Amino acid sequence: MDTPLIGPETLLGFPAPYWFLAFFKVFGFSLHMIPMNLWYAGLLTVLLAGRFGGENARRLRDRFLKALLILIALGINFGIVPLLFTQVAYYQVFYPATILMAWPWFSVILLVMLAYYGVYIYVVGLSRPSLSPFRRAFGWLAAGLFIFVGFLFANGFSLMTNVSGWQALWRSTSFAGAALGTGLNLADPSLVPRWLMMFGLALTTTGAYVLVDSAFFAAKEKVEYRQWARRFAFAVYTGGMLWFALAGSWYFFGTLGSEIRLTLLRSPTLILTLLTALSPGLPWLVIRFNMDREARGLALLTGFAQYGVVALNAVSRQIVQNAELAPVVDVTAQPVRLQPSPMIVFLVLFVVGLGIVYWMVLQAVKAGRRPTQEA
Amino acid sequence: MHYPWWYVPFLTSPMLIALIAVIHVYVSMYAVGGGLFLAVETAYAYRSTNSRYLAYLKEHTWFFILVTVVFGAITGVGIWWTIGLASPLATEALIHIFVFGWAMEYVFFVLEIVSAFIFFYFWGRLPPRTHQTIGWIYGISAWLSLVLITGITAFMLNPGTWIERQDFWVGFFNPQFLPQTIARTGGALLLASLYVYLHAAFYRADDPELRGLISTRSTRPGLLGAVLVTVGGVWWYLALPASAQAALAAASALNILMVIIFAATIVVFAMLYFGPYRNPEWITPGFALLLFTFGLAAIGAGEFVREAVRKPFIVYGVVLSSQILPEEVERFRSVGYLESGLWTRALVAERFPGALGGGGTIDEAALLALPESDRLEAGRVLFFNACNDCHSVADGYSSVAELMRGWTPEMIRSVVEHPERAQFFMPPFAGMPEEVDLLTEYLVSIARPYPPGLQIPGGG
Repeated sequence: MDTPLIGPETLLGFPAPYWFLAFFKVFGFSLHMIPMNLWYAGLLTVLLAGRFGGENARRLRDRFLKALLILIALGINFGIVPLLFTQVAYYQVFYPATILMAWPWFSVILLVMLAYYGVYIYVVGLSRPSLSPFRRAFGWLAAGLFIFVGFLFANGFSLMTNVSGWQALWRSTSFAGAALGTGLNLADPSLVPRWLMMFGLALTTTGAYVLVDSAFFAAKEKVEYRQWARRFAFAVYTGGMLWFALAGSWYFFGTLGSEIRLTLLRSPTLILTLLTALSPGLPWLVIRFNMDREARGLALLTGFAQYGVVALNAVSRQIVQNAELAPVVDVTAQPVRLQPSPMIVFLVLFVVGLGIVYWMVLQAVKAGRRPTQEA
Repeated sequence: MHYPWWYVPFLTSPMLIALIAVIHVYVSMYAVGGGLFLAVETAYAYRSTNSRYLAYLKEHTWFFILVTVVFGAITGVGIWWTIGLASPLATEALIHIFVFGWAMEYVFFVLEIVSAFIFFYFWGRLPPRTHQTIGWIYGISAWLSLVLITGITAFMLNPGTWIERQDFWVGFFNPQFLPQTIARTGGALLLASLYVYLHAAFYRADDPELRGLISTRSTRPGLLGAVLVTVGGVWWYLALPASAQAALAAASALNILMVIIFAATIVVFAMLYFGPYRNPEWITPGFALLLFTFGLAAIGAGEFVREAVRKPFIVYGVVLSSQILPEEVERFRSVGYLESGLWTRALVAERFPGALGGGGTIDEAALLALPESDRLEAGRVLFFNACNDCHSVADGYSSVAELMRGWTPEMIRSVVEHPERAQFFMPPFAGMPEEVDLLTEYLVSIARPYPPGLQIPGGG
């Protein structure tokens, strides 16, 4: 049997209690997931709709792609916090796992960049009389790249917890003991359902986004478009929810170890598990009730409810991650060398920053109601 | 030693960091300097009610967002990605010391991105005063993110008294903090000018008066930036640890790069002053490209030198460039280098089970009794873990096969035993005498022969 290749605890200790690190990791991840879901499944969805649907579908595709430029930038920035806190709390598994798959992991940078500029090339074409096949191809390429990047992420994060699989992977992808960095966690049965489950979740976020967009940002569109968008949002959400349920069941019942499954089905985590599984039902119902009428309040509720779905998923995944790692490393019991003053400065800046963001968004909303003046 | 070593042929994995970091700096410095430039110039355009200049600034803001917001963010994350892969122990140390510094920087990133998009997309719809305020929120946030990251990177070069006190603020406000902040602020302003000038050179402004205005005003931050780079650069040198100053003096490649930094900065200053500042009509694509190239050369060389002078450390006094802690050297020498590493121990146990003694620990003497091919393999394992951070094998960056061309086995052994005596900027080898033998045997097997045609009478 292979020995666990987990290094010693850092002598520097955690700069904050574990709960603090885990809170920001999960909170940051849930914020990152919203825009990230829209690149991951949303882009492909709207491209397919635009390709096979009518005028309204093409309108949605164009609106979505224009917004995507901002959403990608937001998603990348929101991803920084979970990356930071993952490295603080999970360094013993994060570095070995990513080193074993160094080249695929490194390629994420290039692939995301290529996908972003693919979207950009597509969007620039929207201002021209017709979209050239070349620009269209870049849109499809970007959609494919984002899905592939999702696969690489699923590899990285599943490999972090698949500690028992490291040595075999290292053995097959190393030279004189040095990792070639060409490994992927393909032997892990949880990889594919995990990747697909996230795709289903991303589809539901896409559905919720289409509804929120049509209610709040599509005032200049025709009423027919907004009606169509609400129906489309419902269809996408329904499809996503079914996909999430199927892939999630495969992941939960087909790949999780029995110990971990029991942990999740035992009180008090049982409530969280049930909420995670059933939570997409709330936004789905709200979208269903909202389908035949314009109601901003319900659209807003859909947005918040979807954030709840994503956040619950992030919390449950954190619990599963810790349970999977428990036999080899207990991240919750590492020594803490508290850094109180930097922590306070960060928290103050965080709150002040949120306030400034709120003020700026408020100015933008007010400005959005004014007619454009030439610069 | 607690993490697997990532082998990148030819280049070596740490050089990937340098590659990504330099590309990132070219963009991130523009993100800072360009943000301040746009805040100042938008205010000026509103104040002087120059609608044509304002229209140009809007054009430039789109270019600015396109270059900085995503490319800058992705390459910034790319540095994180790469340092974790190539220098995991140093990254582990830095993240535990400075996570709140990075978290603060993240707050400013969010402010930057939100303000940048609102600044551009609501141009002409926001009241001028609000528009300018949002421009300043961007500029100040971007500069503060520069200040925060500079505190951390400066720590890597001279942590000051942090090693004794282990306090966040002591580490952050290290002796290199102020000089590097000044130099980087200068670099950001300088690059902002060059980007604006480059953009303006290709921007089809028919109005000569507008072209002249863009030309003159875009040079102002660059001139100030060149002065700050020079002042910060000299102070940076004075605040270097003695060993870094010595490394700078000893390595001829670094001498050349230092000359490039200062020469290119002076050339850029002169070109800006005598060119667009005094003669605004000189705004041509060729001239702008030349200027831009000089600017990139100065900044790129500066980044490379900043990284190189830290040797034999990755984080000065904290983590050695061979990915071990200074306090681990003695222990590794007594226990054994291969035995001390988690992954090296696993490799030996699997590949050379006969070399395991009682209790499953590695018997280094038994390693020497292995067949030659296995000894060479064990030597190669030692090479990857102890040397590959700075040296490629046979070809590529700082290849040992070339560096040891024509060396005798005795010379090689002497360097392996005490690399720090041969070159003070190399870390000590933390292996037992048997491991010195194994590494020496491997290096002898790859060293290239003395070049033919150099048999000078009286020579060795």
